[in-house]
Amino acid sequence: MEAPLIELDHVEKDYGTGSVVVRALIDVNLRVARGEFVAIVGTSGSGKSTMMNIIGCLDRPTRGRYRLGPVDVGGRSNDGRAIVRNRMLGFIFQGYNLLPRTTALENVELPLVYRGVKKRDRRRRAEQTLQEVGLESRMHHKPNQLSGGQQQRVAIARALVTEPPVLLADEPTGNLDTRTSYEVLALLQKLNQTSAITIVLVTHEADIAACASRIITMRDGRIRSDVGNAPSDAARLLRELGEPRSLPDSA
Amino acid sequence: MTRAESGGGMLVGFGNALSLAFSAIVRAKVRAVLTVLGILVGVAAVVIVTALGTGVQERITSQIKSLGSNMIWVFPQSNQSSGARGARGGGGRLTENDGKAILREATSVTAVVPYMQAQAQVVVADRNIATTVAGSTRAYFDVRGFTIATGANFTDTDERTKAKVCLLGQTAKENLFGNQDAVGQVIRIGRYPFRVVGVLAGKGQTPGGEDQDDRVVMPVGTFRARVSPTAPGRVHVLLVSASDARTVNRAIDQVDAILRQRHGIEPGKEPDFGIRSQAEFLKTQEEILGTLKALLIGIALVALGVGGIGVMNIMLVSVTERTREIGIRMAIGAREADVRFQFLVEAVMLCALGGVAGTAVGIGVIYAMARALGWSMLLPPAALVVALATSFGTGIFFGFWPARRASRLDPIEALRHE
Repeated sequence: MEAPLIELDHVEKDYGTGSVVVRALIDVNLRVARGEFVAIVGTSGSGKSTMMNIIGCLDRPTRGRYRLGPVDVGGRSNDGRAIVRNRMLGFIFQGYNLLPRTTALENVELPLVYRGVKKRDRRRRAEQTLQEVGLESRMHHKPNQLSGGQQQRVAIARALVTEPPVLLADEPTGNLDTRTSYEVLALLQKLNQTSAITIVLVTHEADIAACASRIITMRDGRIRSDVGNAPSDAARLLRELGEPRSLPDSA
Repeated sequence: MTRAESGGGMLVGFGNALSLAFSAIVRAKVRAVLTVLGILVGVAAVVIVTALGTGVQERITSQIKSLGSNMIWVFPQSNQSSGARGARGGGGRLTENDGKAILREATSVTAVVPYMQAQAQVVVADRNIATTVAGSTRAYFDVRGFTIATGANFTDTDERTKAKVCLLGQTAKENLFGNQDAVGQVIRIGRYPFRVVGVLAGKGQTPGGEDQDDRVVMPVGTFRARVSPTAPGRVHVLLVSASDARTVNRAIDQVDAILRQRHGIEPGKEPDFGIRSQAEFLKTQEEILGTLKALLIGIALVALGVGGIGVMNIMLVSVTERTREIGIRMAIGAREADVRFQFLVEAVMLCALGGVAGTAVGIGVIYAMARALGWSMLLPPAALVVALATSFGTGIFFGFWPARRASRLDPIEALRHE
């Protein structure tokens, strides 16, 4: 069997020092294979965001081991983890986290800047990725000129432009209405199927989690359940919603 | 994967950092202008002070040169009380024979001229001016470094016969005759008419601010007889010329020994004469100037430092405002050095703008001052380099801490920042 892409071994995370220690993660063991679409669900404070931060190399486990592909990430320095983030991970956030006053194209180019890709190459790859998410007509728009769904698609393009093996989505639909949420999910499902990118998605919405092929439930810092799921097809859900009141891209 | 894509060991391109910094500055124009203003004032101050210092130094050096090189002044001086030394000319006696003895015996001396002077009214037709009237010998002009612009020196015969002839300094000539030719004209000092035989070329001011050209020079014998009745042979000052700049000290020792012997003053006792040289003068001037320059540069640097603190302040504000942006950049792979570099370049760019503008303003002020005061202001090219380098240095120094602070942010905290 192929080695797992994401591998957490007895990972624990404590916050605070001295007498007040919050145990955010307790003995978390997780293996995610290449190409999986995993949803992590749980109430706020369940530890799902902490786990996401650790998988995303934004935070370090207090105890335990974390391997991402061939890399033992746990012991890496700040810069070491920055390089891993740049090379192996793509992030999508609830609040999109695009740079304001910066065009969609420039936002998508940004990860390539930190990779040292030359300007012309950068531009070509960013344009191509924006086309893939259906935003070729909005490349020179700034975030405040784009709808929420469009902004999230720019963020997805930014996450994909480096062709990372793993895409991490932290409540990607939290700020979006149902229709746009399904649009984003349909895009993620398509990416997962066509380019075999591994997706880890954190959400507290059951219908969003239902689009994943595996659902992990967190509670009080522990994994409570980890089950396979016959994913619902976001594209079909979108069709079932019927005609939109107005075209989402007509803004 | 190409080396360029390896992700490690390589900072974000410099061009990229420049354009990032530029757009960040443009985005907050008013703030940037105010910050740059602080640096501008500091750099302009440095440039102006440097130019002033160099200009004044140059001016003093040339003035001292204009006194005549290798000059030594010997003058009578009271030795009555050691506590309160009398003024020049009080008490002691100095004669032309002392001068002749010095010239004869002192090996390091090439010329000695007697010198006397008085303030007097000089009259030509309806013009009446107060000026310095001096008596000396033909050699005076050489020793003091005057050249004769028009006319001629007075002659041996003039000296012997105490002829009523004189030469005019440039200023005295202009005051008396304006643009007209003075040679051959007659001026009156007291009751006596004097024929102008020559006009001296202009020499400018002494370091003490005295106009060397505002004078009338005549044979010393004539001076004693017609201007300021004095016993024959007595002089106010002996101007001694050493053979060259390096022998000035030896010449001073020789003059001292000869005069002590002639005046019967034992070694160690207070002499009845004083000796001063250019070198002493130069040293004093340079000490004063050096202190002044250091003080002014100190003030200028304080101004620059205040500007730098302004930059640091603005950079800290900028880092706080852009915390979320920093978080985003970190999440997508910016390393600490990338973030640090971005903010450092921004700080340096602010300072460099101030540096360039400050240098321009400084040069403008210097130019205006030079014109208004008629001073020579030298701006050595090195000063420009220093001004710009200082502004860059200020940017790095005051930008480093905010940049470091930005690079040390926790990406999770930064992403949560509103």
